[in-house]
Amino acid sequence: MEKIAVTGLGIVSPSGIGRRQFWANLKSGRSFIKKITRFDASRYPAHIAGQIEDLEKYSHVSERLLKKIDAFSHMALIASELALKDAALDITKEDPNLVGIFLGNAIGGWLYAETELRDLYIEGRQGVSPFMASAWFPAAPQGQVSIYYGIKGFSKTVVADRASSLQAIGYARKTLVKRKLDVILAGGMEAPVTPYALLCCNTYGGLSCDNGNPETAYRPFDSRRSGFVIGEGAGIVVMETVERARKRKAGIMAYISGYASTCDGFDRILPDSEPTQLARAMRMALFDAGITADQIDYISLDGMALDLWDKTEAEAIRDVFGRRASSIPVSCPKTMFGNLLGASGAVDLIITMLAMENQAVPPTLNIDTPDPQGLDYVIGPARQCRIEKAMIISRGRGGINSILVVEKG
Amino acid sequence: MKERIKEVFVKQLKVKPEELKDDVRLYDGIGVDSTEMVEVVIALEKTFGMKLNPKEITKFSTISDIEKVIQSRAAGN
Repeated sequence: MEKIAVTGLGIVSPSGIGRRQFWANLKSGRSFIKKITRFDASRYPAHIAGQIEDLEKYSHVSERLLKKIDAFSHMALIASELALKDAALDITKEDPNLVGIFLGNAIGGWLYAETELRDLYIEGRQGVSPFMASAWFPAAPQGQVSIYYGIKGFSKTVVADRASSLQAIGYARKTLVKRKLDVILAGGMEAPVTPYALLCCNTYGGLSCDNGNPETAYRPFDSRRSGFVIGEGAGIVVMETVERARKRKAGIMAYISGYASTCDGFDRILPDSEPTQLARAMRMALFDAGITADQIDYISLDGMALDLWDKTEAEAIRDVFGRRASSIPVSCPKTMFGNLLGASGAVDLIITMLAMENQAVPPTLNIDTPDPQGLDYVIGPARQCRIEKAMIISRGRGGINSILVVEKG
Repeated sequence: MKERIKEVFVKQLKVKPEELKDDVRLYDGIGVDSTEMVEVVIALEKTFGMKLNPKEITKFSTISDIEKVIQSRAAGN
């Protein structure tokens, strides 16, 4: 399918807000995983995360609006603002009917919902903010960003666990290829550092409980792996057709050239132990991009840090890339700030584009003894490396396999 | 009483006191939406210790209209 241009990015993460701060921290390989301080989480089996402090400092969102929205909408508003600025796009000059927004989210906005539900049971119906109804659900950020910028074109929120935002970007590309819209804000947001959301993540059972060592707890592809660590934030990019981006002389950071998604259809939580469907999604995305496996020079890993997930991910890479699998740089930079769940795929795209721009791959933290072996994991400092074409892997629970192929702009 | 009513709006909606004009409809003056009005009516009920009919106080009311409704309810009507 046709390539679509990415002309701007907005990042809100524990490793920094805005591209400069984010990249500087990624490049230095610094961990931002800490003990949760927002509330007393000490009795949860896992109580470490990547958190964002002082969100208010970074936006022009009014106090009146902040009262009505959850933190995940706030993050999406800031990321959208940053992305539009980065793309040098004045959205007020666009035809609002031809602008859309495609976002991914896995669990909704619980910080708002929890406090209001508490009030419901203590004070009764009248104790609940009327904004509760429009604040918590996964599509709330899409609505808030649409209202803020007057976006009126076809838009969508995708809920597909940790693959949500990569799927949103895949759908956004398809929509632009069909010329249904001119410009799309695409990405995702997640705010899981709340008492109930953290409980759900704990119940799921995939979290690392190495609370005494927050910075080394998240260690995918290491023999001492113990599960992943959650993080909060948002990643949003501006997407438009290549001819339009060229016409307005926009800087094209990257092209989305291939996308595919498959499902394991196997279990409610686990992926299939045979990664046939993950490998099929990789091949389909390469076919969609019109390139072969030989042309990929970087792979962004999903990195769940659980035996079965890491093993199947590495196996699928070996299956698709054959002998070359051991010489393609692969990395999982989210080990520095946590897995942003529904927003993780969009953030991985942003990291990949920054890696292309800066000709350096940020490292995976905490790989001491690689497991499975046989892949070229980037460990230690960021590695100097020219990337022309990259593959991004994003997987959701129960075996959702989404793959994006990106080319340097 | 008008000042107490305005205080409720300032506290609930985070608007500036000077934005609240006595005889301008809330919808036109500060862009109040119907969800915000639900919140304000509940806060007014708590402040003035009375039940209010949401049909009498809407986003198309003015501060003066609200004052009249509350005064009339306080007088036992």
